[in-house]
Amino acid sequence: MNYIENTYICLAAPLLLAILCLRADARRSLSFVLAGMTACLLSAYVSAFIADTSGTDLTSASYEIAPVVEEIMKSLPVLFYLLVFEPKKRNAISGTLMTAVGFATFENICFLTSFGTSDLLRLLIRGFGTGAMHVVCGMVVAIGLFFLWDQVWLQAVGGFALLCVVITFHAIFNIFVGQTGVVFWIGSVIPLTIMFLYHAFFRRMIRFD
Amino acid sequence: MIDSIDNSLQIAVLLICVFTAIYRAFRKDGRVWTLLALFSGSWVLGDLYWLFCLVFFDTTPQLSVVCNLSWYACYIFLYMLLRQVAPPETSRERRFLPWLGFVFSLAMAVFYYSFYLDWTVKLGEQYLMWGKALDNLIYGVLMGLLLFSAIRRLMDRRIYPAQRSLCIVVLVFCLLEYGLWTVSCFWWGDTLANPYYWFDFLLTVDFLLFLPAVKKAVAE
Repeated sequence: MNYIENTYICLAAPLLLAILCLRADARRSLSFVLAGMTACLLSAYVSAFIADTSGTDLTSASYEIAPVVEEIMKSLPVLFYLLVFEPKKRNAISGTLMTAVGFATFENICFLTSFGTSDLLRLLIRGFGTGAMHVVCGMVVAIGLFFLWDQVWLQAVGGFALLCVVITFHAIFNIFVGQTGVVFWIGSVIPLTIMFLYHAFFRRMIRFD
Repeated sequence: MIDSIDNSLQIAVLLICVFTAIYRAFRKDGRVWTLLALFSGSWVLGDLYWLFCLVFFDTTPQLSVVCNLSWYACYIFLYMLLRQVAPPETSRERRFLPWLGFVFSLAMAVFYYSFYLDWTVKLGEQYLMWGKALDNLIYGVLMGLLLFSAIRRLMDRRIYPAQRSLCIVVLVFCLLEYGLWTVSCFWWGDTLANPYYWFDFLLTVDFLLFLPAVKKAVAE
């Protein structure tokens, strides 16, 4: 039996102490990483609860419930930051990405504790794939929110629509990585390819800073 | 067989729309083409999700939340596209006909829900009812908004002809969607005799028509 809360406490404690000591940008970034990890832990509880009440099995829950819950939970820290602090565009975008990074990190730790650490190649692909997927989802929401719309109500409605899109992308990713063999590889490589394409062609056109 | 051909054709056409829109978004009029890319992209993601569930698990999703969210997003992006291409400031005249779009879509939502209610009671799966009620309400509101906006702009005499053609494509899209949903209540079967496939093929053609319509509207 794995007690993921205990793992979370061990990981969060040093981060929390560092947040207390750091200042400005570094503190903000680390806070978002911690918020992402917390969102990951909470979404595991919420997903398990919904799966139990709707009678969904574990495999179906991974692509029908988990993506919805995870993407919504992941967006909450950024939403709070946007509504309460009215931050600069650059800070909000980096916050979105750091939350995604924290979320992906803790999800990979959950994966390690559940499936062991013996298969390095699989872990490598899984680690990069999951990381890239969460960052791509964060990037899509950030690009839409801060570059497409200038009115607040359009940002809210458009942000919701983009969240729906990334939920579907996440669900498709979960279907692929839940398989074995070539399908698993393809699933993990898709978000990495999107990140590569962004760096190769679009980075100069869409600047986050 | 016909189901696979229909799905594959629609996905291929939508991918063409996505890549063309992304290419044009980086050349000029980025916002309009990005919205078209997002509209086609969210639709194709919903289609792909459904298709992959069928391929890998041999069944449709037990809870259709994910693909429904994707299709909600699609309608929102389409509304935003319409708003971006033909801003509402050009059509301030108050008319009765656009509101019929709203009334029609809400009436249809009630019809679909009552049809579904009969079905779930027969199956004894009442827990699905509340989710479906909300689902029908959201679809009703979003489609109502699209119909309202398209008819309102079509009735505006000050609107440019190219903007008008985009409104017609949106209106056709909405009507084909209603055609699809209505025939799927009464006809089942995997043959070309099922009118569902006729509507779906027409919808695929309509997706393709968005490209010239947006291009013309942007040029004007």
